[in-house]
Amino acid sequence: MFRNYFVIAIRNLLKNKGFTFINISGLAVGMACAILIMLWVESELTFDGFHENRDRIYEAWNRDSFSGELQCWSVTPKVLAKYIREDFPEVQDVVRVDWGANYLFSYKDKRIKEDGNIVDSGFFNMFTFKLLKGDKKTALNGSYNIVLSESFAKKIFGNEDPMGKILKVENSDNFTVTGIMEDAPDNTRFKYKYLIPWSYARLKGNDDENWGNNSTRSYVLLKPNASIESLQTKFKDIRKKHDNEAGTGEMFLYPMSRWRLYSNFTNGKEDGGLINMVQLFIIIASFILLIACINFMNLSTARSEKRAREVGIRKVVGARRIGLIGQFISESILLALLGGILSIGIVLLALPGFNKLADKALFIDFTNGWYWMAFFMVVIITGLLAGSYPAFFLSAFNPVKVLKGLKQQANKIITPRKVLVVLQFTFAIVLIVATIVIRKQIGYAQARQSGYDKNNLMYHFLTGDLEKNYDLLRNDLLQENIASSVTKTSSPLTESWSNSWGMEWEGKDPNDKTLFNRFYADNQIVKTAGMEIIKGRDFDLNTYKTDSFAILVNEAAVKAMGMKDPIGKIIRDNGAEWTIIGLVKDFIIESPYKNVNPMLIEGAGGWFNVINIRYQTGSNMQSNIKKTEALFKKYNSEYPFEYKFVDDDYAAKFANEKKTGTMATVFAILTIFISCLGLFGLSTFMAENRVKEIGIRKILGSSITGIVGLLSKEFMILVGISFIIATPLAWLAMGKLLDQFTYRIDLSLDLFIYAGLGALLIALATISFQAVKAAVANPVRSLRSE
Amino acid sequence: MIKITNLEKVYRTEEVETVALNKLSLEVKEGEFVSVMGPSGCGKSTLLNILGLLDDPDKGSFIFNEVEVAGFNERKRADMRKHNIGFVFQSFNLIDELTVFENVELPLIYTGVKSAERKEKVEKVLDKMQIMHRRNHYPQQLSGGQQQRVAVARAVVNNPKLILADEPTGNLDSSNGNEVMQLLTELNEQGTTIIMVTHSEHDSRYSHRIIRMLDGQTVTENILV
Repeated sequence: MFRNYFVIAIRNLLKNKGFTFINISGLAVGMACAILIMLWVESELTFDGFHENRDRIYEAWNRDSFSGELQCWSVTPKVLAKYIREDFPEVQDVVRVDWGANYLFSYKDKRIKEDGNIVDSGFFNMFTFKLLKGDKKTALNGSYNIVLSESFAKKIFGNEDPMGKILKVENSDNFTVTGIMEDAPDNTRFKYKYLIPWSYARLKGNDDENWGNNSTRSYVLLKPNASIESLQTKFKDIRKKHDNEAGTGEMFLYPMSRWRLYSNFTNGKEDGGLINMVQLFIIIASFILLIACINFMNLSTARSEKRAREVGIRKVVGARRIGLIGQFISESILLALLGGILSIGIVLLALPGFNKLADKALFIDFTNGWYWMAFFMVVIITGLLAGSYPAFFLSAFNPVKVLKGLKQQANKIITPRKVLVVLQFTFAIVLIVATIVIRKQIGYAQARQSGYDKNNLMYHFLTGDLEKNYDLLRNDLLQENIASSVTKTSSPLTESWSNSWGMEWEGKDPNDKTLFNRFYADNQIVKTAGMEIIKGRDFDLNTYKTDSFAILVNEAAVKAMGMKDPIGKIIRDNGAEWTIIGLVKDFIIESPYKNVNPMLIEGAGGWFNVINIRYQTGSNMQSNIKKTEALFKKYNSEYPFEYKFVDDDYAAKFANEKKTGTMATVFAILTIFISCLGLFGLSTFMAENRVKEIGIRKILGSSITGIVGLLSKEFMILVGISFIIATPLAWLAMGKLLDQFTYRIDLSLDLFIYAGLGALLIALATISFQAVKAAVANPVRSLRSE
Repeated sequence: MIKITNLEKVYRTEEVETVALNKLSLEVKEGEFVSVMGPSGCGKSTLLNILGLLDDPDKGSFIFNEVEVAGFNERKRADMRKHNIGFVFQSFNLIDELTVFENVELPLIYTGVKSAERKEKVEKVLDKMQIMHRRNHYPQQLSGGQQQRVAVARAVVNNPKLILADEPTGNLDSSNGNEVMQLLTELNEQGTTIIMVTHSEHDSRYSHRIIRMLDGQTVTENILV
């Protein structure tokens, strides 16, 4: 029986190559989308899911009220770990994981800078990372022990055995390699090339007992069977218990299973997060797959006449309806399987690009049985979804009628199909609108004035001896006419590393907890960055020695402090008094989509991490870099020269939105492609069925354009209906999307009209091929065939 | 074998109501060869469809093999049909995507005959119809007469008790037509009951009895033998 089904299915597919191609390629593209998105979803859902203790691991979070709103954040004081251990017997261990380190490693004549982290020695007992060499319990015990990742060890030591070797770190301290850990998988937040024990940080003076300094992450491992509910109630008040200035600050333990997907907090409560993206993508994938299935349904049922006789005969010789349903469904599953095989090819081709877009390292593990299970599930679901309606439709034919050759009215067959076409184009139009909106929004934010001059501005972190030799380096850069201006700052101009509500000034409301960005710059920051001074002057240490404790404020800060004339006023911050000497125009240091926050630029009395170099305009950048590199080598010979340009970093602020834009574009194109495949098939069928009508019309004097219009009109109406349904949907969705940006475009109707016209034109182009073909055909021939 | 009493069938569309069978009564004995004749629209095809259990009557009784089958559901009708009845149509109605062999094999598949036995039976019947040499051809590659012989082969492969033929020579020239009528006659002589709808007086003379219909009723019966 199945052999018979199979034979007839294959012969039918081969006989109607055009329809087979449309069906299989449509299904393949739809399934490829679904598979790619499933891979992505899987990697997000299993993020940090491999830790054996995952049900007992928590991260300590803060919750406090600012200006009447509850805020939550995960950065904690370093001293917290100690008190958690002391206060709560149900806690097995606490591990601090610091902000991350970027150290220079020297071995023989190799010099490598790499990212790693400083962690408490219990790290390997809490988290599940395999040690290939060394002992988990003791690897991080000594202050000068270091555990390297397998690939990093290979990079330094090549084929030598790294265990017990001495590595020089930051040109000063000698570490002994005590462990080699397997490279961390892609889906973990703990992806480090090396781990250094916390005791080293303590030796270096980077540990403190200050409750006011939120500076590390604290992870808590509960004992088995400990009750998290009862612990939470006690844990809440840990700050108040040990910190006199805790105020309303509370703490809570946030479970590992929620970190990746749910950690968006609004007013103290979880409010979505990446999970929204996961859901959105699942919806999009389902829709694209559904659209491909709709094509299949449309084409199989529209062509039902060709299969009708077979149905009739099978019924006459004794087939039951259920058997026929089985036959047609196995046929569609076969087709889905062919599509599925093709889709794996598409996925393999698309993965590199998709990985780049999604910032992932996804791959198909062909040895993994679960993947195959999932694949066959997709095939079967697609086959069932696509095949069920045609199966019920076809198997219901009355054998008496179909064997007599009674023709079904083409229009009658097409009507339910119309609903499906409308559904497809509604989705396509929504995606076109999304593409346009996201692109416009990015363009709008890119065109926004940044408030400073990003071009010809280079920066470099103050590595090794750069801080020590800064004055010499600066002098040389200026003397040799390489730079027009040099300034050191606390962070790059595109990042704000520090903020506080603790600043004080005359007349400040004691309850005011407005956050100010805190930035440090030593000299001539306005000149170097190309900012605009509104009042007062730039830092000028050469003329005014007191500028070490001078301060520049931006417009937003003046507004927040409510000062009429800020120049000369005093601001107290971090135990020092700073005098305002200038007011600068607001400039964008954080998100170009948000309002500029209040900002204080404090003078040379602060701390510094970055050297900023402004090159002469119109100078040769290549030779500038060469000359700069020579000077850096002179003053910082042990460290590599790793410069960056501010305009590149600024452009990177748009990377996420650009990715979203690219995704929307890709999805829109795919949806349109699949929808058009279906439309093409339907219009072919329509044209075939109306051959006689077209012949008669032509003999009676209809023009070719008249007939093309006749055949296209119906589909145009459908696209029009789709437009009417899509517009409010897209309006709502896009409004929601844009709400996350403060600096945003407004939705206007013309944008939707463009999308609608675009869809209409694409649809018209698809249909016209068949319509023109039918219209120019010789009517005599089509009528004679009757 | 067949006893029909007061059979009624009405077709309704949105506007028109057509009475296809009007209190029709009829009896056919086992081994008979009966022709049904009458003008277009007299209900003879409807009668054939009901006799073939493809259609259900609205009213009346239909006893087939001593079983009342009027009111049978789809499953029971399909079951009764595939074991007892073979069909031959005017337009052959072969499946284009299947070879001669596969077309003839189809009824055996639905009655659950094992593969080896199917092969044997199909070959035997193809041999009998003298189209064995065409077993691997597709219907379009055959002449009309050959196609109808394949259709007859398909109708008899299951050894049905009853063959229903709907104008079996309508699409054939006279020599091919005669060949098919000869085949039917032979089958009848071997014991198969045959009911044939036809417009052809010539063909009807092969049968034992002619039933003439008009407006859904039988009007006359001619006994030929």
